[in-house]
Amino acid sequence: MIKYTIQRVLLMLMTLLIITCICFVLIRMLPPATLPPGDPHTAVIEARREALGYNKPYLVQFGIFLKDVFTRFDWGISDVSGETFGKEVLPLFLEKLPPTILVNLYSILFSIPIGIAFGIWAALKKNSWIDHAISTLTMVVVSVPSFVYAFLIQYFLSFKLGWLPFLAANGTNWFSWEMFRSWIPAIMSLSFGTIAGFTRTTRAELTEVLTSEFMLLARTKGLTRAQATIRHAMKNCMVVILPAIFGNFIGVLSGSLIIEGIFSIPGVGKLYLNSINAQDYPMFILLTVFYTAIGLVASIVVDVSYGFIDPRIRMGSKK
Amino acid sequence: MKKFLICLMALVLVFAMVLPFASCKAPVTNDETTTAPQDEPTEEPSKTPTEEPSETPSETPSEGGSEDTTEEPVVYLPLPNGTGYTYKDSVTVLSSNWNTHTYQTTDESYPVSFLTTGLYGFFFNDEEIYKSTNGSDPYAGYVIAPEMAAELPVDITEEVKAAHPEFNIPSEATAGYAYKIALNPNATWENGEAINADTYVYSMEQLLNPVLMNYRGPDYFDGDFAIANARNYYYQGTTNYTDNGNGNKYALADLVKREDGNYYTADGNAMYIAVYYGVSYLDGNSLGDYADAYGAESIYGIDGWNKLVEAMNDEGMAVLNDETYAALLTTIGADGWGNEDESYAFNYFLEEVVYEDNYDFANVGIYKTGEYEIVLVLEKSLSGFYLLYNLTGNWIVYQPYYEAGKKQIGDTDAWTNSYCSDLASTMSYGPYKMTEYQSGKYMKFEKNDNWFGYTDGKHIYVDPVDGETYTMYQTDSIVCQVVAESSTRKLMFLKGELMGYGLQSADFAEYRNSDRAYVTPSETIFFLIFNGYMDAIKEREASEGFDTTKYDLETMTLNSFRRAFAVTYDKENFATTISPSRSGGYGLIGTAYIYDPETGSRYRDTDQAKQALCDFYSVDVSKFESLDAAVDSITGYDPETAKTLFIQAYNEAIEAGYITDADGDGKSDQTVRIEYCSPATSDFMKQTLNYLNTQLLKVLEGTPFEGKIEIYESAPYGNEWSNIIKAGMSDTVLAGWQGSALNPFSLTDLYTNPSKQYDAKWFNSQAETLTLTIDGEEITMNLKQWSDALNGTAVTVNEKQYNFGDGKADVNTRLNILAAIETKVLGTYNYIPMLQDGSVALLSKQVFYVVDEYNPIMGRGGIAYMKYNYNDSEWIDFVNAQEGGVVKY
Repeated sequence: MIKYTIQRVLLMLMTLLIITCICFVLIRMLPPATLPPGDPHTAVIEARREALGYNKPYLVQFGIFLKDVFTRFDWGISDVSGETFGKEVLPLFLEKLPPTILVNLYSILFSIPIGIAFGIWAALKKNSWIDHAISTLTMVVVSVPSFVYAFLIQYFLSFKLGWLPFLAANGTNWFSWEMFRSWIPAIMSLSFGTIAGFTRTTRAELTEVLTSEFMLLARTKGLTRAQATIRHAMKNCMVVILPAIFGNFIGVLSGSLIIEGIFSIPGVGKLYLNSINAQDYPMFILLTVFYTAIGLVASIVVDVSYGFIDPRIRMGSKK
Repeated sequence: MKKFLICLMALVLVFAMVLPFASCKAPVTNDETTTAPQDEPTEEPSKTPTEEPSETPSETPSEGGSEDTTEEPVVYLPLPNGTGYTYKDSVTVLSSNWNTHTYQTTDESYPVSFLTTGLYGFFFNDEEIYKSTNGSDPYAGYVIAPEMAAELPVDITEEVKAAHPEFNIPSEATAGYAYKIALNPNATWENGEAINADTYVYSMEQLLNPVLMNYRGPDYFDGDFAIANARNYYYQGTTNYTDNGNGNKYALADLVKREDGNYYTADGNAMYIAVYYGVSYLDGNSLGDYADAYGAESIYGIDGWNKLVEAMNDEGMAVLNDETYAALLTTIGADGWGNEDESYAFNYFLEEVVYEDNYDFANVGIYKTGEYEIVLVLEKSLSGFYLLYNLTGNWIVYQPYYEAGKKQIGDTDAWTNSYCSDLASTMSYGPYKMTEYQSGKYMKFEKNDNWFGYTDGKHIYVDPVDGETYTMYQTDSIVCQVVAESSTRKLMFLKGELMGYGLQSADFAEYRNSDRAYVTPSETIFFLIFNGYMDAIKEREASEGFDTTKYDLETMTLNSFRRAFAVTYDKENFATTISPSRSGGYGLIGTAYIYDPETGSRYRDTDQAKQALCDFYSVDVSKFESLDAAVDSITGYDPETAKTLFIQAYNEAIEAGYITDADGDGKSDQTVRIEYCSPATSDFMKQTLNYLNTQLLKVLEGTPFEGKIEIYESAPYGNEWSNIIKAGMSDTVLAGWQGSALNPFSLTDLYTNPSKQYDAKWFNSQAETLTLTIDGEEITMNLKQWSDALNGTAVTVNEKQYNFGDGKADVNTRLNILAAIETKVLGTYNYIPMLQDGSVALLSKQVFYVVDEYNPIMGRGGIAYMKYNYNDSEWIDFVNAQEGGVVKY
């Protein structure tokens, strides 16, 4: 397992480097946004691009980028108009990370137990009206995008009832009650889909497991249905559910472009899209490296986790 | 099992609720004070709403711009509940760079109006405090008065010309080049430090600092307001290639041929031909780009093109000499390129300008003559309104923060500056100062107690309704939040949490007639451009797949056909249906253009402009009581005339063989298909096409074209749409130009300059003559010449020079020329005006404008003149007293 993990990590680093290089070149190959012909600022923009080295060969630029990162951990300063102008991209990114992580984390912590609980309930009541109701509701909820919930929540809970604020609170005191309360609409908007997803997965897995022969054996040994379900059925279901949970936790770092926008959460959701549109090279590369690394780490974690969850699964075996 | 499930659900809920608190820590209060800037509004409250905070974070600015961040209490309550007056605004993108040397976009400049004050400012003429100099009614005009300056500028051109030859003031100049400006000694930074002449000189030096390459640098030398030698200082040590077509417009005859056989300007600058170098004439593209895209053989005279490519250097330019010039003429004279003659050649020239290195800032036209006195020396003469207008902005920066903010980007040659990018790096000298800021979230401004305007007794006004005198800036604080979605803004506005809400299409039915709905016109007129490029049309008809027995394109080039179109649509109804925030457009020049900034008079209100519309829409003025009544009768919709013209077009088309009537039923066998050039499909476009076709069907009823004319959407052309239209490869599109609101005369260039015309391929403005009688003299020139002369170029006709530019001709003459050009261009029916751009916004009942009428220069007075019906706590009570807590509009 250790050898397998090391191999995966090394492969991950190589993959990361290749993806970074490709993205680095591709973003620079996009033609720069042009000002209207005759605009006197065009010369300034071009002169700054020249001074920034953006007219050098791509691989030379990539080499400079790697040198800056490895020797100074300098990810660069944004030089495009917008929210990032003149700012070092790494601190800016880190500054915006907490609200993104927290809102998504709250959403997942809220969604997972509820989703699993509904899944269990539906599985245990398979083919009953409860199962049908949950399954139907799940389909409906999964089919509706999260921003629809966001607008509905804003309309009913904030506008009509006045229970919750329209927007996230100002300030950076992330762990206060006021901040949490202002995030509730966003958390709810993000949660519906996740709950439905876990409900569906859990129900499907558990339904299958509950009909397995070993469950019959467990019951014949004298275990109650609850005991058999929790000790045996759920454990088997976890082979599928747990990686999904890991995946969701890792996904919290990516944020939600739309939900953050609707509720004015100053998170990282917009950064990636804006960096591409504005051709903000330093920010784009930072985010590319970060999210690529997250994705690669997630895949390793999920793969390795199979071995821990189900001892029958062995990683990297040649046999 | 039931028990288990209940327990499980309870655990889930408890877990979900408790976990967040487990990670909470006690809020930390903020113990620091903030300093900051502010400024002042110029304009009305906006299409986007806002909201408000009550308090929050903060950082303490400290010397050098470093910051000490602490955590602060959270604020989410939307309504301030004190007895003050809080303006609650919103934006979709929050500024993060309000440095007046580097900001680029309107979004970024949002805080500038609060945090800075210009040398001069605009005030409503209230006939008490600020008396109008032109006799306009109170609040119908404005007065420009000193703000950061102590007095109006004093012209000292003669004196400076004699004492400072380094500024190169023309020897014949006697005025308009150098001004002494006394500074307001009471002006300070928000921390109380004085602002003096050194501040202005230092700030200009930094603004033009060649190392910093500030984005706003060219604003001070590339327009009408050009500080002497600022360009040389800013570009020192570099070589620039100036686009001749967009600059000096040198023709070959204007240049000097030297011994090396190459051409130079009289100043000795080398001239080049742009081969693979973008020029404004080609919308920033180069001849080479077109060669790559379409094949040089198919569009250029290939021999000439090959010679140009051979002569080209690494930068894509060929030195201008007789050989390359001849090659250029061969290249652009080809059929595929539209047979351009020598008169177009200048558009492809580049002028090489080499800037001296180590240029001394002492040569730049700004210097100190006293503790509170500076002199500005200009490269070009400027005076009156335009001089003061250019000084309503300001360039000063707070030196300690500015220096601390400078940073070299990595190992590159580029520098950046974090000045005015957050609370700690901001220092105000305007009416408000920044007190809170959170990147991407919100910003808050409060009154700057150290702003001179609160104590100088000049920032007061007489209310036009009650006649009482009030102090400007009743607003105590301004809170601007990011609200991305218009639906959210609307809900917040109705709950009283924002001051304004820009109406969306779906809102118009409900709110258009609200007495809180304010219309703000803007400059753009949207018109339908009509294809008349017969060569391209024939080529399209000849292409494989085009069935001429079923379809026709040529008919649309008939003048009668276009004239029929021009009276097929009720412009106001079109606007109401398609884009309710806009209004009907009738002429090429919209209602927002002011021809005389001194008086605020609008072009569209002049008799000349009214007559132009009557001529275009064939309105017989003699049948009306007045010219105004005649203009008011114009709707753009005259179905009877339209039918008559369509019938005439049918007959002409039959005669010309464009269409046929083989079965003799008196109807066209072909459908005239008009392709709408779609940049990208949208609901707006679909609605537009639907409206155009529906209305067309009605008008065509009973004519030979009944059901035989169709406007259909093209495949998406993206950003290429304008090139497609110009090339005649698509037939119509709703498009428009936006020019300077203070200079309607400049718009004529857009319709007569081939490099800008949409219809250059089928309307030669240089072949179309116009005869006008000016000062008793009958003058005949082509449209391009009239336009050039109107915009200040000396045009020679019959060995006599004409210049009708600003200051060269009286305004009435200029208006006559402008209206005549407008009439002439409209008469081509290449452009059919449809929409006047504008917006409508609801204003909160918490506030009101001192004047409802929109003024193109003053807006409705902005924050300075905004008055409150309720303070913050009264407003909360008011909102809560409404049914459901929702304010009705």
